[in-house]
Amino acid sequence: MGALSVKHLLGIKELSLADIELIFSTADTFKEVLNRPIKKVPSLRDVTIANLFFENSTRTRLSFELAERRLSADVINFAASSSSVSKGETLIDTVNNILAMKVDIVVMRHPHAGAAQFLSRHVEASIVNAGDGAHEHPTQALLDAFSIREKLGEVKGKKIAIVGDILHSRVALSNIFCLKKLGAEVMVCGPTTLMPRYIESLGVKVEHNLKNALEWCDVANMLRIQLERQDIKYFPSLREYIQLFGLNKQILDSLSKRITIMHPGPINRGVEITSEVADSDQSIILNQVENGVAIRMAVLYLLAGHVK
Amino acid sequence: MKILIKEVTLINTGTNESGAVRDVLIDNGIINKIAQAGTLSDPSATTIDGKKKFLSPGWFDMHVNFRDPGEEIKEDLMSGCAAAMQGGFTGVLCMPSTTPPIHSKAEVEFVLNKTKNELVEVHVAGTLSHEQKGKDLSEMYDMASAGAIAFTDDKHAVQDAGLLTRALLYSKNFGGKILSFADDNSLSSKGQMNEGITSTHLGLKGIPSLAESVMISRDLQLAEYTGSPIHFSTISTKESVELIRNAKKKGLAVTADVCALHLSQDDSALENFDTLLKIKPPLRSREDITALHSGILDGTISAISSDHSPEDTENKEKEFDLAAFGASGLETTFSLTYSSLINKLKIEKIVDLISNSPRRILGLKEITIKEGENANLTLFDTEQEWIVDGSTLKSKSKNNPFTGKKLKGKAIAVINKNKFFLCS
Repeated sequence: MGALSVKHLLGIKELSLADIELIFSTADTFKEVLNRPIKKVPSLRDVTIANLFFENSTRTRLSFELAERRLSADVINFAASSSSVSKGETLIDTVNNILAMKVDIVVMRHPHAGAAQFLSRHVEASIVNAGDGAHEHPTQALLDAFSIREKLGEVKGKKIAIVGDILHSRVALSNIFCLKKLGAEVMVCGPTTLMPRYIESLGVKVEHNLKNALEWCDVANMLRIQLERQDIKYFPSLREYIQLFGLNKQILDSLSKRITIMHPGPINRGVEITSEVADSDQSIILNQVENGVAIRMAVLYLLAGHVK
Repeated sequence: MKILIKEVTLINTGTNESGAVRDVLIDNGIINKIAQAGTLSDPSATTIDGKKKFLSPGWFDMHVNFRDPGEEIKEDLMSGCAAAMQGGFTGVLCMPSTTPPIHSKAEVEFVLNKTKNELVEVHVAGTLSHEQKGKDLSEMYDMASAGAIAFTDDKHAVQDAGLLTRALLYSKNFGGKILSFADDNSLSSKGQMNEGITSTHLGLKGIPSLAESVMISRDLQLAEYTGSPIHFSTISTKESVELIRNAKKKGLAVTADVCALHLSQDDSALENFDTLLKIKPPLRSREDITALHSGILDGTISAISSDHSPEDTENKEKEFDLAAFGASGLETTFSLTYSSLINKLKIEKIVDLISNSPRRILGLKEITIKEGENANLTLFDTEQEWIVDGSTLKSKSKNNPFTGKKLKGKAIAVINKNKFFLCS
């Protein structure tokens, strides 16, 4: 088995195509392990992993923790409220604490873009970015692409529409980087006020009509509307957002083809997508969750190669 | 004190000796004698070899923050003056963004009194609004009487058009100069860097060029309406250059300066979240840099400043969103300015942008180099290469983005008020 070209997983930006393919093939193996009666492997015995969550997270944290335990790593968890982060000293202090505790891998989620890079400049440990502000969320993008590959055979040449709040979304950004590297065509769709002005520089198509975007794509990744990230109102009301960008069964059935529906979770049922759509056989939302564990096992396993 | 500078090339003398190689004797703070190279000698004088070096009027930086009173841990008036001398500057204009702000006679007098014995001539800009809050006029006349020469709310850009109109009108009575830092908060709100390709890559909130140009557009109309002169501090966008260029053509009394950093660095330098380059206005695009250069060439922009903004490590070494805006600049401004402009502009013009031109903008007396005049001089070397070493920088704060980098061009010594400082 090969090795990653990077010591940290800070973002998809830094990964090569070979890195992504290596992560996928490793995840294939782990996915098979996860379906065995005994799901635990001893690969990361004696490796200590710290999960630092400076921002609320349930599913990503659980997914990482499960991946770590399946690999037999020693796990410590640290959660801090965003309010203490904004006081400023926390990250530097955390850095020093990590140094003292001799942690091998740090998984960190942080409300500010660039926090993972900041940490990687100051500590010896390998850093896994579990989401930093509106910058990157690489494991999410990897599991999304992995799920598309599983469902459609390959990612190359496929058309993926990312729908919702593109401006505040690290999932969108990482997905764009990852899908483009894998040779997919990417379209972003959402309200004009939530579209970064220079988004086309990333080589994506821009569409503001949901129906058009869905008609174009093979897969629609419906992002969560993150009202908590919006300091000002970018659209007048959720009602209006739903009218323009909410995906319901009626629209889905009106399309000329069957498309695949994804969502990074947690779903605002009845906002981005209705329950009917989320639970339909076109949705691979729960496969994404399952693949998340396999992808995170693969990433941790491969980074541990740099630790040893 | 006697100083003899031998075989130095004079520039911007204000006489027909510009460009000549001369021996210059300074005695008791006065230029005593300017003679043919190699003809003067005085054993009682400190003698400096001026070969292949230039002697110009003392440099002037019209946009510095010395953080005193209030944040002396970042910089104080003495360390600020030391940084100015090290950078080759014999005069500065201090911005009023201190704690408390320089918003009344008391703070103006404090700064002027505390620095009166310094080599560096320290000038003060008072706030335009009371407590720098952007609501009511400050006591501008009282501050002007105490010695303030300009008025601005600095980076707390005036959002209220009515207030700026009143300030432009009111300052006419006594000739106070209004400086405007153009930034529409509702457009730049919480932005961290220039809105562009790099901000999109990094997921950082962008500050659109529009936030600056919208305000410049507004302010130009206010200046026209009031018939008052206005100066724009540290402009950064191509739209701003265009607006000011057109206003000048129309005959408005408008001037502008640019921060040296904006002439050489574009926003792609932030690709690794380098907080040392997090400044306000933000580093813009290559296109903006080109426009700023052309603005300098055609005189739309008539001064270059350092926007010296010392920040301690605690405020810089942190998450990008939380890090303070600002870079320490006095000690590297000349190198940056010289390197970015020398292929387009004569050295005389470059030096004017950091010496007599800002003095003209502010209505200060221009410095000339001739016998009998006060010696207010900067001796510098355009060829010397040096590495910016944090430990030898004179500023208290170490947030100079060029630390560890090699630069070309350096001040050698400054002379003013019968004082002499040899730059290290």
